Amino acid sequence: MNSGYRNGRLLGSGSQEISSARIGVIAVAIMLAFLTFSLRLFQLQIVEGADLRSRSEQNFVRTIRLEAPRGDIVDREGRVLASTRPAYRVQIIPNELHRGDRTFRALSQILDEAPGELARRVGQPTGRRRFQPVVLRGDLSYERFVQVESHRYALPGVVTNIGPRRHYVEGDLAAHLLGTIGEVGTRQLALPQFSDYDAGEIVGQFGLESQLEAHLRGRAGGRNLVVDVAGREIELLDEIKPIPGGRVVLTLDLDLQRVAEEAFRSTDPEVPDHMGALVAIDPTSGEILALVSLPAYDPNSFAGGIDSQTWEQLLSDPWKPLRNRALSGEYAPGSTYKAVIAAAGLAEGEITRDEEITCPGYYRMGRRIYRCWKRGGHGRVAMDVALKESCDVYFYNLGVRLGIDRIAHYARGFGFGSLTGIHLGAEKAGLVPTMEWKRRVKGEGWIKGETVSAAIGQGYNLVTPLQIAVAYAAIANGGRVLRPQLVKRLETWDREVLEIITPEERSRLPVSREILEILRDGLIAVVQGEHGTGARARVPGIVVAGKSGTTQVVSLDLVKGLEPEEIPMRYRDHALFVAFAPAMAPEIVVVALVEHAGMGGGKVAAPIVQKVLARYFEKHPRQPEVEETSVVLAQGSLPR
Amino acid sequence: MMLNIDRRSLQSFDWVFFSIAAILVVFAFVNLTSATNSGVEGGVSDIVRRQGMVVALCSVVMLIILTIDYRHFERFAPLIYVASLLSLVATLIIAPETRGARAWLFEGRFQPSEFAKVALVLVLARHFHRNPPEAHAGLRQLIRPILIAAPPVALIVAQKDMGVALLTLLVAITFLPFVRITGSAWALIAVAGVGAMSALWSYGLRPYQQQRIFDFLDPERDPLSSGYQAMQSRIAIGAGGMFGRGWMEGTQTQLRFLPTQHTDFIFSVLAEEWGFVGSIMVLSLFLAMLLWGLWIATNSKDGFGALLAVGLVGTLFWPAAINIAMVLGLAPVIGVPLPLFSYGGSAMLSAFISLGLLLNISMRRYLF
Repeated sequence: MNSGYRNGRLLGSGSQEISSARIGVIAVAIMLAFLTFSLRLFQLQIVEGADLRSRSEQNFVRTIRLEAPRGDIVDREGRVLASTRPAYRVQIIPNELHRGDRTFRALSQILDEAPGELARRVGQPTGRRRFQPVVLRGDLSYERFVQVESHRYALPGVVTNIGPRRHYVEGDLAAHLLGTIGEVGTRQLALPQFSDYDAGEIVGQFGLESQLEAHLRGRAGGRNLVVDVAGREIELLDEIKPIPGGRVVLTLDLDLQRVAEEAFRSTDPEVPDHMGALVAIDPTSGEILALVSLPAYDPNSFAGGIDSQTWEQLLSDPWKPLRNRALSGEYAPGSTYKAVIAAAGLAEGEITRDEEITCPGYYRMGRRIYRCWKRGGHGRVAMDVALKESCDVYFYNLGVRLGIDRIAHYARGFGFGSLTGIHLGAEKAGLVPTMEWKRRVKGEGWIKGETVSAAIGQGYNLVTPLQIAVAYAAIANGGRVLRPQLVKRLETWDREVLEIITPEERSRLPVSREILEILRDGLIAVVQGEHGTGARARVPGIVVAGKSGTTQVVSLDLVKGLEPEEIPMRYRDHALFVAFAPAMAPEIVVVALVEHAGMGGGKVAAPIVQKVLARYFEKHPRQPEVEETSVVLAQGSLPR
Repeated sequence: MMLNIDRRSLQSFDWVFFSIAAILVVFAFVNLTSATNSGVEGGVSDIVRRQGMVVALCSVVMLIILTIDYRHFERFAPLIYVASLLSLVATLIIAPETRGARAWLFEGRFQPSEFAKVALVLVLARHFHRNPPEAHAGLRQLIRPILIAAPPVALIVAQKDMGVALLTLLVAITFLPFVRITGSAWALIAVAGVGAMSALWSYGLRPYQQQRIFDFLDPERDPLSSGYQAMQSRIAIGAGGMFGRGWMEGTQTQLRFLPTQHTDFIFSVLAEEWGFVGSIMVLSLFLAMLLWGLWIATNSKDGFGALLAVGLVGTLFWPAAINIAMVLGLAPVIGVPLPLFSYGGSAMLSAFISLGLLLNISMRRYLF
């Protein structure tokens, strides 16, 4: 063998040549390295094993929320007002986004948005939020959705799905009644009733959507999927099917609602549409047949999360389209209040049906003059004519005889000054002034002249159109003050009836049936009689009872001497009209309020009421009964 | 006569070493099959099939090596060394750039740097054999070894294959325990080492490589981009737990959350699917193989055989150690394959040559 050793010490076998001690050092080094590896394996697999296992599951198990479609809202005949349609969505799961810039570039071409904008919306979430999908587009057209879907495998982190989306079939029709939906707010999430809601979940925010949230919501399901690194779905692990939200059958009649809203619309393009409110109610049950508040908004614009611009517009609009005027608009009741004053006078014995009061066209109290709307005066009038022609002086006298506190007692008895109890939220109670109230709130004593104004529904009095409807329904139905109902029954999504809402009597009018008959005759005269202020509410073949009213917006001094059309819009009077029919056995009460109409209720509001009544009786035709009226009148009977 | 296996060397064939290596190779195959499972029922991926052919070819090469008395390699060591340098130069000139490096020939099928390691071991073993260390010889005796090691390392650095360059350097360093130098000389080496490291940091590493070292120091810093690999590897290993998720059942592997799982991160696949028990088993086999290699060195009849055996153990140990350390999150992500386990022909062939030479030394321990 080859031997080049110069040093004899190293001669001999190889092991001695390179000294086994040195090899031992190497062996120990190797063993130490492997010991380190073993300890590290122990740490990762045994000590941190469970934690890292769950992190691997977060990697590959994707939990998809299966949203429950919100329940349908239908009218009393089953016609759909609010439904759910499929919405195509594109989402990003930040955790699965490996090459974000590439993905956003590709998406930007399909979605027509700058890549930077898309990236900004996804942001840089940390912690658990990395696993929560961020919605890039909530309502994509089907064509674009298909484009994203076909490129999805090249776009890790992109998830597409089809989710339910609220759809209001009739657009802005009955918008205030249906309400809106929106993402549950952070402040709401802190409340106990939202404890089982997740951030970003859709929840009813106003109107029926909010009132019936628990019924409409349904129960979301879920699906656990195994996904690979590219987000491809490999396998379905398990699935809980969502339970769709329940169906709501309203008392609303879509036909009447539509006619009512159209009645506010102007036929002349030069003239803007009327604003205001309308309530149609069934006096036998309290069921609301139509509920209008105008101007309205399109609840569909809320369905996918409203954009801030539209929202700002709605909020800053001086005519406040978001407010439901029918139950949160407070107005002076005007002459519609006269029925209350008449009832109070009769019940308190301050007047009889036949007692006549002279109207010279004004009423004097001390140094002040209170005018009747009819300059020349009505002459000697009894109650029927006073109601028919809406004589102010008659009621000035009667009001002063009663005094404000007795008026207030009866007004409350008719349901004014307190909530009607409708389940719609945001209802206002209005105001029934008393002496005590004025001392407490204004810090001053009551002035007798204020009673004069109160007697014709001006002054401090405030009522909502809904309260007028409930009060007149009570006059019409024999004295029962009913809770207005919007919902006829609640059903499951597959139409199993869960609950039928029954009429609810909240109180009785503090007046006798005889007094109600007197009132009714007077109100019939308003519409059917000669020179009645409500002649424009007549419906052929039907006896209609009603009362007009005008609500002063500002004191007369401000607009003195101005022609009606010269008065600025916001200073013009509101017009009111309330009617029930058929007068002998009423089935429907309609109240219409036209804001800033600048004309009396009989001129502007009565025709709107008339259209609703006409449509109602078109749907529910009957034998003409005008001939019978006198007979029934003579018998003096009231329905039920 | 060169090609010659006589009866005695056949009788003293090292079945223990061979068996350990064979078990590892079989295990590596099973593991690679899972790592490249395409999801097709009963199907074997192209990668596994190709690796099978590579192993068959490597076995033939190993058999040829066994027939050549290892002492002939001492004679031809300079020639082999020069040949490896030439192939490195050729690679540098003609190889296309692949993933930022010029390290592969023949359309990425051949990586000369893998063989440069073995050639360096041969020539260094020859050098130390012919120039046995003198007592208190000082640093002078390091000059020639450094001159021998420098050209291949420099060429591989030029190829921008930092992983293999580092490995080659470490393989050369394996011989350090055999030089006799004073304590102050060791200190000087340490200073030079630190100097070289910082020079490498500043001039040798590209930004993404520096990034990897930052990520190593703080893997949670940016788990979605460059720290992703290290993080997913840790998750896979941890998810394996005590007994593993089962062959072909590892979700990190099968759903491809693991990066380069059939090459650099093959050990994560093993750890996920076979758990702590399986990983320790493979580690033990590796350790046994390396220690047996050192045993071969101590039992070698001559100095060259012993030095060569130690160097060959180095060619197996360093890539294994760096790869496992990287996979376990103990070292930055360096593209170094795990010998015998990672998919790749050149590394496999290099490992088989090392194994063949070790068997060669072992079977000829009684010859003279």
